[in-house]
Amino acid sequence: MSAPAVERAVERYPAHLHPAYATGVRSLRVVEVVRLTDTVRHVVLEAPDGGVLASYEPGAHLVVTTFPEVLPTEADQTEKRNAYSLTGDGVNPRRYAVSVLRRGDGGGSDWVHDALAVGDLVEVEGPRSSFAPRHDQRHALLVAGGIGVTPVLSHARAVVRWGGTCEIVYSYRPGHGAHLEDLRALAARPGVTLHEATTVEHTARVLAERFADQPLGTHAYACGPVPMLDAYVDAAAAAGWPEGRVHLERFTAPELDAGVPFTATVASTGQRLAVPPGTSLLTALLDAGHEVANLCRQGVCGECLVPVRSGALEHRDLVLSESEKSAGDRMLSCVSRGGHAGAEIEVDL
Amino acid sequence: MVSLSQTSLPTWAHTPQVEPVDPTGRVHTLVGVTGDGAEGDSPTGTAVREVVAGWQAASGSATLHVHLCADVAAGIAALEADLVSARVGHRVLVAGTADACLAVRAAAVRAGLADDELRFGVVAADVRTVWCVHCSATTAAAVGLDEDLTCSGCARTLVVYPHVSRRTGHHLGFMVDAEDQPWEVPA
Repeated sequence: MSAPAVERAVERYPAHLHPAYATGVRSLRVVEVVRLTDTVRHVVLEAPDGGVLASYEPGAHLVVTTFPEVLPTEADQTEKRNAYSLTGDGVNPRRYAVSVLRRGDGGGSDWVHDALAVGDLVEVEGPRSSFAPRHDQRHALLVAGGIGVTPVLSHARAVVRWGGTCEIVYSYRPGHGAHLEDLRALAARPGVTLHEATTVEHTARVLAERFADQPLGTHAYACGPVPMLDAYVDAAAAAGWPEGRVHLERFTAPELDAGVPFTATVASTGQRLAVPPGTSLLTALLDAGHEVANLCRQGVCGECLVPVRSGALEHRDLVLSESEKSAGDRMLSCVSRGGHAGAEIEVDL
Repeated sequence: MVSLSQTSLPTWAHTPQVEPVDPTGRVHTLVGVTGDGAEGDSPTGTAVREVVAGWQAASGSATLHVHLCADVAAGIAALEADLVSARVGHRVLVAGTADACLAVRAAAVRAGLADDELRFGVVAADVRTVWCVHCSATTAAAVGLDEDLTCSGCARTLVVYPHVSRRTGHHLGFMVDAEDQPWEVPA
């Protein structure tokens, strides 16, 4: 009795075949390139047929395949996958926009600056959400440092779209404030306040002041360089904020030493993998033929998370919270290792 | 019975215990629900006052707002008045019987507080409030988990399920022999 109706519906709307569900690897066309500052380029992408794109959560990023001159030494690749935060509010987009800082290291960001032009097709994957707002936030404190403004702008636009309230702290060097005009325009609306800071001391002062005066139920989000994020975490702790209200996204990781040798056992097969210093568990797993999704390979993105059954761990990533680290049941295989030289761990793969 | 750590029941809701003051808080609201009536101090009230005094002694230089209230309604009113202009960095500590603590927790959650901003000092955990899924009445009784009681609204015999609502603080109750009722698939 209901079967024909279901069939008709499937005919009209094949589940998850609508283009707005597509998040796999696909090509998008560059339709606009805007120079925001001397070192930041804003790139706007559309589907080649101009159709709808997948919606995304605020703070999500798009993975872009780039062809840099200088490649990571580890592999025989000719391309690299870079993650760039989307700047829109994420609701029914027809365009994806990212803002890319030129790093000047010959990497993927330089390729975006030097090689991309309007009309080009680029290969993308996602969007992927890794820095989403909490759905029960009563108010948001959004903190941006430098190019870390991109996910913060996305959060702020979403807050405005859904009628929420937020305070934004933007720390930038004069003349290098990408999206400053966009944030000032948002701050003209009721419920949105913008605090600008242009020196390290000023930023620390504003952070201390704003953390001390946020209404109950506020969640804080920050993206920026490591020293600013350290100042952000310190200011939150000084104001008595519990860890669960303080969220951040890092885009650079500190240099790590080669680490200790350890042994990993793969639970499903019993296979034992010796992981020497200088080799990551991720590399060892991939070499042994195990499929482990990975992206940044520096403990920032969280893509290569593997479940762990037993063994002492040394967590060296910037993704897991303190409580997740102490639980000892998962690790980021790209940077984290056995807890001591000769440690035995069992990964649940 | 299922392991209680796998349920929505906080440990203190079935085993009386006093959680310590969170030293990272800037401001603490202490709510003690004493249960004292007109006839004077009850044993519960004495225990609650001891818990609150212990928290006061352990809270260092943080700002304190202390409310000793006779019943849950007064406790919630005092808490809500405190939280109107509260900032993040505020912690709430509630002392009383488990059912009083669950009821005040519900008000704290409504006000926007998260679990890591709440601490409880439970002096007794015998009485539970049970919400009937059939008639929505709430019955308070000294009843254990997985035991039966009679619903004050519809007189059905309810089994006390090991689930407690964060929104209301009541346990879930449903008809104990629900599977045995004569019941047919509707046409």
